[in-house]
Formats: sequence, C-alpha cells, structure tokens
Amino acid sequence: MEGVMITKIADNIISPLGCTSEENFKAVLSGETELKKHEGTFGLPEPFCASLFNRDDINKQLDYELRSVGNLTFFEKLCVLSAKRAIEECNLSPRETNVIFILSTTKGNVEFLEHNLSDQRCYLAESAIKIAKYFGNNNSPLVVSNACISGVCAQITAIRELLSGKYRYAVVIGGDVLSKFIVSGFQSFKALSPEQCKPYDKDRIGLNLGEAVGTMIFKAGKPSNEGYWRYVACSIHNDANHISGPSRTGEGSFRVLSDILKNIGIDEIGFVNVHGTSTAYNDEMESIALHRANLDNVPINGLKGYYGHTLGAAGIIETILSMKAIENGVILPTKGFGTIGTSYNVNISNQVRKTDKSAFVKILSGFGGSNAGISYQKGGKA
Amino acid sequence: MENLILQLKNQIIEVLNLEDMTAEDIDAEAPLFGDGLGLDSIDALELIVLLEREYGIKLSNPAEGKQIFKSISSIAYFVSKNRKK
Amino acid sequence: MITLAHIRITPSETWLNGKVVSNSNINGIYREFIGDYPKFFKMDSLCKLGFIAAELILKGQTPELKENASIILFNRNGSLITDRNYQMTIADDHFFPSPALFVYTLANIVTGEIAIRHKIYGESSFYVLPHQDDEMINDVVNKAYLTSNPSFILTGWVDYDDDDNYVADIKLVTK
Repeated sequence: MEGVMITKIADNIISPLGCTSEENFKAVLSGETELKKHEGTFGLPEPFCASLFNRDDINKQLDYELRSVGNLTFFEKLCVLSAKRAIEECNLSPRETNVIFILSTTKGNVEFLEHNLSDQRCYLAESAIKIAKYFGNNNSPLVVSNACISGVCAQITAIRELLSGKYRYAVVIGGDVLSKFIVSGFQSFKALSPEQCKPYDKDRIGLNLGEAVGTMIFKAGKPSNEGYWRYVACSIHNDANHISGPSRTGEGSFRVLSDILKNIGIDEIGFVNVHGTSTAYNDEMESIALHRANLDNVPINGLKGYYGHTLGAAGIIETILSMKAIENGVILPTKGFGTIGTSYNVNISNQVRKTDKSAFVKILSGFGGSNAGISYQKGGKA
Repeated sequence: MENLILQLKNQIIEVLNLEDMTAEDIDAEAPLFGDGLGLDSIDALELIVLLEREYGIKLSNPAEGKQIFKSISSIAYFVSKNRKK
Repeated sequence: MITLAHIRITPSETWLNGKVVSNSNINGIYREFIGDYPKFFKMDSLCKLGFIAAELILKGQTPELKENASIILFNRNGSLITDRNYQMTIADDHFFPSPALFVYTLANIVTGEIAIRHKIYGESSFYVLPHQDDEMINDVVNKAYLTSNPSFILTGWVDYDDDDNYVADIKLVTK
C-alpha cells in the first residue's frame, strides 16, 4: 500500500488487573481475573458479573499520580493516566503540532445524565479536548465512536493520519467506565452472563462487562529500535444485516479477514485474537467467518474471560496483550473456554501454547453490524 | 379477555412503534414474528419489558418468550393467568 | 475528491443537489418519498435523519456500486438525544430499561441502518467532533482511501439536537 512504515512505539493498560501492560500480561498469563458478581452496585436492582475498578484504590492512585487535573472526570483521569504512562515510556513531546490524539469510547461520561440530562460533560468531544489539553496538545482530537469495534477503528484512524503524512505521532486512547446506564442496557438485552463468561464454549450463555483503559502510541517513519511492531493491514466492513444481531454468515467479519489476508500469509500469523464475547451469536458468527477465511487451523484466542467486554478499550488492550504474547513466544489461553460450542471446530484452547510466528490478527464485531480487523508484525525478521 | 386483547394490541402498537397500524389491523391469532407483523429480536425484548411494566410479570428466561409471544391471543392467555397487576 | 451528490436536511427545508425538494419534517419526508420501510418508525431520531438523507442521495446508485461503498459520518451530539430518553427508563422509582432505546444509544447505529437498507458492505465509521468542521471531515474521508478502496463514500454531518434543531449535510464522493 503506502510506503511509510508505521510502528507502535509505546503502550499502556490500566485495568483491575494492573496499571501497566506488563502487569496485565503477567496477570493474564497466570490466569487472573477480576470478573465477579456485584450486587447493588450502581444502584442496579439485579446483580451482575463484571470486572470493575476498585474505586477507592484507583482514585487514590489517580490523585497521587496526576497533578493539576482540574475538572477531569473519573473516565477522563483514567485516560490521562494511561496516556501519560505511555507518553513517558517513549519520551514523546505531546504538545508538538505533529502529534494527534485519538479517543476510542462508546459512552464516555454518560453516567452524568443520571443527575442532569443536559450535562455538558456527556459530549464525547469535550472529553477528548480535555485529555489532549492536559498534555498541552492543541490539535483537534478525533473521537471514534463505533460501538464495540471502536478500539480497532481508532488504531486504523491513527494509521491513516500517519500514512497521510499530516502527523508524525498518534496517541490512541481507548476506554469506558461502567455505570447504571451501560449495565442496565446490556441486562435489558438479556446479553449478560450471571457468571464468568465462556467464550466459544458449548455452555456459553452471555457476556460480562469490564472496565479498562489502554493507550497505544504510533510513529510514522523508520523505527529507531530493534524489536518494533509494524502495522501490516487493516479493514472495516459492515454486515448490512441487523443493528444488534451479527450476520448468520459472518459476512462483514469474513470480508475483514479476507482483506487482511491479502497483505499477510496465513503461515506468518501466530494467532487470531477474536472478539469472543461469549454470546451465542457472536462466537458462532466469528467461527463461520474464520472458517470461510480458511483460518480453521490457525490458533485463535479471546481475552474476555479475563477482562469482560471493555467496550471502547477492548480493541486497544487486546491488541497490546497480543503483541506482548508474540514477544514472549506464546498464545494466551482463552479463559472460560472448555468444549467447543460453535459450528466450526476452530483452533482454540484454554492452555498456554507456544508460537514462533511474528504476526497476529486482531478482530472485533459489534452493534450496528460493524466489523474491524488489524494486523501487526514484529520487526527484525520480516 | 376481549378487553385484554384490545389493550394488548394498543400497548404493542405503542411500544413497538407500529406506525399507521390500528388495533383492528392486527389479527389476534396471527403470528407476531416472521411473516405476520414482522417483529424482530429487539421487539421480543421490548415485549418482555411490557409484561413486567404493565402486568408485573417477570420472564426470567427469555427463551420462554418464544411460546408466549406467538400471537396476541397467546400473550393475552399468558397475562390473564400470570398477571400481578 | 469528486462530489457526486449533496443533500441538506433541516427542520424547514430539504435541499438535494442545490434544489429545495421538500419543506416537510423527517416523518413527512419519509411519507413523501419513501413509505415502504416500516422499520423506519422504530428508529431513533438520529437514525431517521441519516436514513432519509441516505435514501434520497443514493437514488440511482446501482447495487453493485453500493455493495462496496463506505459510510463515514460525523456529529457533535453522538446519540445524546436517545441517551436521554433511555436514561428516563432507568430511574430508581421507575426502572424498566428499554432495549429498543438502548440499542440506539450508539451513534454508529445510523451507519448500520443505512448499510442494512442499501446492502452496503464497505466500511461504516462514526466520529464525534466538537462542531461541524468540513475541512476536518474532508480530511478524514480523504485518508480513508489510504487503507480502503470504496466505490464511493457516503459522508458528512448528521446531528440531532432536538426536534427543532437538526441537520443532515451529506454528500456522495469518489476519489
């Protein structure tokens, strides 16, 4: 495609499992999860199983680490802390005009509607501006709000900004915090599992929600170090089928995978990190798409059993963890999976597996019939 | 029963935004999903909310809905047996 | 970018390619020009607005071209109009969360509704901006060609404040 090389130069994950990418990777590798039953939380009449931040602990940390936060909300502070850590890791000067901020979120500060239906903090662009301003960046930030696929779409948006040459660096932040609004909605959809979810399993009965934020920083141009991550290919397709039900033929996801496989060989892919929400329809749809794309034998894995569905963060944190996995020569287990429960017998496991491959594919699907995918390859060998 | 059927028809027209439809247009025996009124999965979920809000009936298992939501008549029968308000 | 067609819908006027074609509100335009898609009445206001704009501007486009088209839309409000309506269904003393409203508490559903109606399998993307910024919109849309090859792109601004304040300013563009 374009000649410019785009690499990932820093990342961070803040979740109930840890406050760095490394902490999160280690926790996942040892099978940890904070998915548990919550009763009475957010004033909800029904209990639910989710991975939530301990508000006291995380607020203490936010107060300690962030100075001059002004009027930032909980959601915005989490985004700022995650971005700050990633920015420090790569010594980026975030105020430079060649840096763009991109925010991936589904609902941002929606919780404030409860007390004021016209609360200005609920405008998503306001959050993005406050976050960029915290770092002294005056470029107009972009907010990607593409439901569950936002995290991958935000990466794709960053890649395009850098390929075009308009910006040299992109700071991509993805996050969502849970509230009565979001949890009650998923409850009304009868989409939630009352216990820890079981992606791709025959006994899966629904998804869990989770809270997290993640940041990836991208750079255009020659990588300055060995062992970099290079963007390979990306794609977004709609199912054109139904606003809340995935396509029975996996059409959009299949088209995403087909586009990506035009740019990278199946034999180079260590695994496909799937959406794997653990709903009956999503996992079935993905298995069909994987089969149609001749990926039945390629290992796949899903991380919702550790974090739940983290909405705007999902695409970011699952991509970062996939990179860490390849760096460590492993395929992370699909926690919660036991016996295959999809039409196609895809190559999924609840055990740590080894891989010596240098690339992976990350896919997501979501409300609105949307599907997205992106592939990265570790530099050096390629 | 006739009154309940009429009430249900009007409530369903309202909550499912069946614009341009009146109670007379809906055959109480006709299937609600698929061919009949052409309702979909979100409509089914909204009917569950309707039963709870208007009649105090909680469907814990959405799969039960399949039988109950066959037609207006079947909903009326179920409501008359199970209503709490 | 070449603009193939342009539509602008406000509460008082609908302009198609520079000519006023209607003075009706959204439901009125549906009845005047469409009328055969009962699902329209299930949509929230943002989706209805985007749907009607797409319906009028896509007239004459072949199924083959539509299949590989992209939809990239922008606004300021996101889905706030429906977020507020949904919020009212989850009050502590009247807690009956509505799934039919909740599904529309995502701004990108409008891209899905358009894709479903027209069998558009290309990219569907939604961005939220602080205000209508045509330069930025054109910029983002132009860059979509760097990683995709759509037959055309349906793009622009579709924002719903309330029943007296809404605008769809949408065009079809090709490279």
